[in-house]
Amino acid sequence: MATSPDKSARLADLLARTALADQAAFAELYRLTSGQLYGLALRMLRDHALAEEILQDVYVSVWHHAATYAASKSQPATWLTSIARNRCLDQLRKRELETVPITRDDDNDGEVEMEFAADDPTPMEMLLNGAESRSVRECVDTLEGGQKQAIALAFYQGLTHAELAQQLRQPLGTIKSWVRRGLERLRQCLDRSGYVH
Amino acid sequence: MDLGRPDRADRLEALAAEYALGTLSTRARRRLEAIRRRDARVASVVRSWEYRLAGLAEAVPAVTPAPRVWAGIQRRLGIGEAAPAPREPWWRSLALWRGLATAGLALAIGLGVLLMANAPEPQPVVVVLAGQDARPALIASAARGSRTLIVKAVNPIDVAPDRSLELWALPEGQNPRPLGLLPASGVARVSLPEPADAVLGNTPALAVSLEPAGGSPTGLPTGPVLYTGAVQRMY
Repeated sequence: MATSPDKSARLADLLARTALADQAAFAELYRLTSGQLYGLALRMLRDHALAEEILQDVYVSVWHHAATYAASKSQPATWLTSIARNRCLDQLRKRELETVPITRDDDNDGEVEMEFAADDPTPMEMLLNGAESRSVRECVDTLEGGQKQAIALAFYQGLTHAELAQQLRQPLGTIKSWVRRGLERLRQCLDRSGYVH
Repeated sequence: MDLGRPDRADRLEALAAEYALGTLSTRARRRLEAIRRRDARVASVVRSWEYRLAGLAEAVPAVTPAPRVWAGIQRRLGIGEAAPAPREPWWRSLALWRGLATAGLALAIGLGVLLMANAPEPQPVVVVLAGQDARPALIASAARGSRTLIVKAVNPIDVAPDRSLELWALPEGQNPRPLGLLPASGVARVSLPEPADAVLGNTPALAVSLEPAGGSPTGLPTGPVLYTGAVQRMY
């Protein structure tokens, strides 16, 4: 989503006016950000109806809590992305409780992937090439293979440690260590390159 | 567990990272969210992680949601209600015309005849304008070829100082045409751009609406319609 300083300032302004119940500002905020958040929700939930429902939840929440944005001291795009991801994660975890243990085998994954256009990037491709920021791309590149895979699947598909272990056919301990070390390496690299909020 | 303590910094860092990544259990996520709200140091570490990983979210291709999503948001918030379907303006409403058809034609003719009897010359076009109570409030009349419509208030009309009475022609199937402003009492001589039978040709009725002082700013009636009357041609 919008990360350039100009666009960030614009979104912050729209959020501030949304906090004052300015409907035009809210509509503009939706226009500028809903595509990115919907894409994200669609990626994580893999269900159009559900993603639409969650997107509505997100903006209803944004309308009600826009006033808390300023206190969050976040970048507007980060703030919005976090709300959307958290909603999606809630939904994914809820679904896990409701369904019998998910069987994820290669066939299933194949089917799930079919729902997306063939030229849609995979989690790994997004992790490696997608970030607008060169720092993020370069730092992702420093991760080891397993770390990259685990982080990509966790971030773009909302998988838990247990699900990662199942999908990547690795012991849980290995997965946890990949994730932890991967994130730590990412942080050190990003901090060094000045990608700090 | 005091995550904000300096000696817990590594633990906090790891938890915040997994929170931002999304791998924490729902329970652990809820707990960290609660702590974050009351501990500024925890909040700051979580925020930094959200910022680092939000960079990854940009990589997801944007997909424009269907218009129904925004409509649903508006509905749930009760905001930006789509403007209600424009109501049929009153001059197109069937009730007006039905009312005109039955509103004492005999009375109108009777009054018209009376008026004609008093007039120095025959007034073959007569309109009796009445309110909802069907009592005549204004009588408009003109000779066929005359460019003056004479409008007489039967009784003085109560009009606020910042309002004007405006007379309209209601041509068949067209928008009302303004004819002029009327005084609240007495007799008005309304100049017509053409002879009466031309101006009122294809015009089954006249109406008077209450407008801002000086008349409607839009060229169409904006205020309530007070009186209407069918155009009676006595030739």
